[in-house]
Amino acid sequence: MDGKSDLKRWRHLANFSIFRSDDRLLLIFIGIIVGICSGIAAVVLNRSIFTLFDLLYSVYHYWWTFLFPAVGAALSSLFLEKIINEGAGHGVPEVVYSVSRRGGLLRLRSSYSRLISSCLTIGSGGSAGPEAPVVMSGAAIGSNIAKFFFLNDRQRITLVGCGAAGAISSIFNAPIAGMVFTIEVILGEWSAVNIIPIAIASVAGTEISRLLQGNQIAFSHHKFNIDFTDIMASIGLAVFAAAASILLTRLLKSMRQLSGQLPSPIWLRAATGGAAVGIIGLYLPVTLGEGYHCIQLTIEGLFEQGLMIAALATLAKIFATSLTLGSGGSGGIFAPCLVIGSLAGLFYHRGLVLLWPTVSWVNEGCFALLGMAGLISGMLQAPLTGIFLIVEITGGYEVILPLIIVSALATTICHYFEPASFYLKDLVERGQLLRPGTDAKVLTDLSVLELLETDCISVKQNMLLRDFINIVKKSHRNYFPVEDQETGHFLGMVYLDDIRPYIFDPIMYDAILLEQIMDSEVEVAYTDDDLFDVLRKMDKNQLFSIPVVQNNRFLGMISKATLLDKYRKELIVQTTHRCF
Amino acid sequence: MVLTIPEIAKCFGLSSNTVERWIRQGKIPIQRRNNSCIFNQSILEKWAENHHMPFEMTVENTGNELKYPVENLLAAMKRGRVFYNPDGTDVGTILQAAAFLIPDLKSNVKQKIYEKLVEREKLTSTGIGKGIAIPHPRICLSSIKESLITTCFLKKPIDFAAVDNEPVFVLFILLSPTVKTHLQLLSRLSFCLRDVSFVEFLKNCPSEDQLLTIIADFEKQFEKSNSF
Repeated sequence: MDGKSDLKRWRHLANFSIFRSDDRLLLIFIGIIVGICSGIAAVVLNRSIFTLFDLLYSVYHYWWTFLFPAVGAALSSLFLEKIINEGAGHGVPEVVYSVSRRGGLLRLRSSYSRLISSCLTIGSGGSAGPEAPVVMSGAAIGSNIAKFFFLNDRQRITLVGCGAAGAISSIFNAPIAGMVFTIEVILGEWSAVNIIPIAIASVAGTEISRLLQGNQIAFSHHKFNIDFTDIMASIGLAVFAAAASILLTRLLKSMRQLSGQLPSPIWLRAATGGAAVGIIGLYLPVTLGEGYHCIQLTIEGLFEQGLMIAALATLAKIFATSLTLGSGGSGGIFAPCLVIGSLAGLFYHRGLVLLWPTVSWVNEGCFALLGMAGLISGMLQAPLTGIFLIVEITGGYEVILPLIIVSALATTICHYFEPASFYLKDLVERGQLLRPGTDAKVLTDLSVLELLETDCISVKQNMLLRDFINIVKKSHRNYFPVEDQETGHFLGMVYLDDIRPYIFDPIMYDAILLEQIMDSEVEVAYTDDDLFDVLRKMDKNQLFSIPVVQNNRFLGMISKATLLDKYRKELIVQTTHRCF
Repeated sequence: MVLTIPEIAKCFGLSSNTVERWIRQGKIPIQRRNNSCIFNQSILEKWAENHHMPFEMTVENTGNELKYPVENLLAAMKRGRVFYNPDGTDVGTILQAAAFLIPDLKSNVKQKIYEKLVEREKLTSTGIGKGIAIPHPRICLSSIKESLITTCFLKKPIDFAAVDNEPVFVLFILLSPTVKTHLQLLSRLSFCLRDVSFVEFLKNCPSEDQLLTIIADFEKQFEKSNSF
């Protein structure tokens, strides 16, 4: 062992004897580090967006300021496209994809790329949120710390979760929301082995944010007194919030398609979208930026414009968000959802007051808050995240009952129209969303090579039936691959079932060559095939086994009998509680 | 403990690819360093038990050939010896005389063998035609350790109720401890007896040395074709 690798050995933390049998302590320990780092990243992004936005806000009364979002979006897409070489978007699907397909591997540059690009987009006034970029950063930080310590996939995925949880916890000062979001959306798996380090990372992330920015509840408010009528009214709000989330999802999608059809370069598309947002912002400044200021106004009941302005602002914010994100700006939908939700809640409340002025409704801030929960739950289709986030960022536990109703209903209604949540839709469409313990995940993890049975005896096409029968005597299998005499290429299969009539007839022994009885049009599988496709091929042709071929050469057989054995083992290993 | 991936794969009866992937994904409590795997045996055993996996540390190399060595016809015939002109005029007496000729066995075992041979003969004749019979017990004998074939040339062909009703002039008494060896020997012997010139040769009542030389030639053929 040379000196260099001796020096590196300390980084193999998992090989230390105390962690070898039980890595939970190790994960908690590294989870704290990851939580702190991603917490810092979240604070940095939050501060820089504020600074940039405040700087530019001082001149927002001039007409030409509509160009700010355009320049910001163009710069951000240029930065991602040319310098970092990453696609636009908010990053959460990338993280989920990496967790489900690549064992949580993320590039180091992802830990800062989205911070810079989303800072440019949002700070200049684009309508998007800083949360998803921060989740991507936190996840990438977790992934790269895991890589540094040579941890395995399972540990790395847990640390990716720690990073995401730390980021959300830090940016909202909401540890439970961070934890629940990670488990519900990013990992999709509830197991004690994961939850504990993630919870600790949430605490670390929150604590860092409190140290650096003070312990402030993001949207403080007055106490609400909630009556039964308000709870009943919240059902209607759930429908309303669900409608708004479906509208937002559909608009985002069609904006993306629309901008994809434009022949111009990417930065120009982003600039066009940004300019459109800027123009909307000239008339309705609430639509600009992440919009936390607007949320504060609505919750405190200080949003002074009337019913129609509230409706207009809701629609304008939905439109601005679709324009920003659909045209290639960088940022998430978390904050816009909160803004849209609060505006929608406000509008709903004012509508109620207009229709039934005699009923004593709870003040409009409460409905703004419920609207936020409805939008978050509807967009992410993650009801628990919605509930806990709103409880934590508003410090309002008294609204928990209507909150649960709105979240649950909004999620259900949205699920009816949009089967997959906004974050996961692309992945589901591409068939890339693989949660642990599902059929798709088991089949993806198993590879064709792992299932290969190599105890088949190959034969040549010029072999006489007599010689073949001697081989049948020795074989354990009913299938015999036929290979070319000279090239060794795979030609076809001889199935014992097909030749049963001849093998008891000695007259045929010297009269038949294998070429004549082999099946040359067999379905074959290739080593790099997905097992899912191989199985579909087998089912379609009602086969119980299928030959595997690579470079025209026969490698072995895959049979459903072996598959069952391996599938079961894989399923047990994936789902059994992983405490060693 | 330290083992390589293929060794661990063998312990679990899995493919090396699977074990490698499980280590990479952290599904199995094994750490990797370069090409070797480090693990704690008791932890791994407990893990295997929790996950309902078969796990066997000591793996014997159990190829089928090693487990069931191919039975050698020549050796069996040498052990059983060749005898000429046993006393007797019918199936029963001939079999009794022949059974007591079998070498290296106690007389009570020989008596038992005789009874079993007669019992089998009652079921159907073991006369396979062309004047040849292969008397054998129906159930394998646990009392003998090694298979053997005792050859008896008769003074006068007797009626054995054979399939072709021809009188039998030679007996191959086949005894073996397991069904597997019994079938192997029967298969090899019947291959020889299918050879017309070999049957003609037997009719001339060859000496023990002559017979064993011919059988040795057959053995070489078997080895070459490796088909039995």
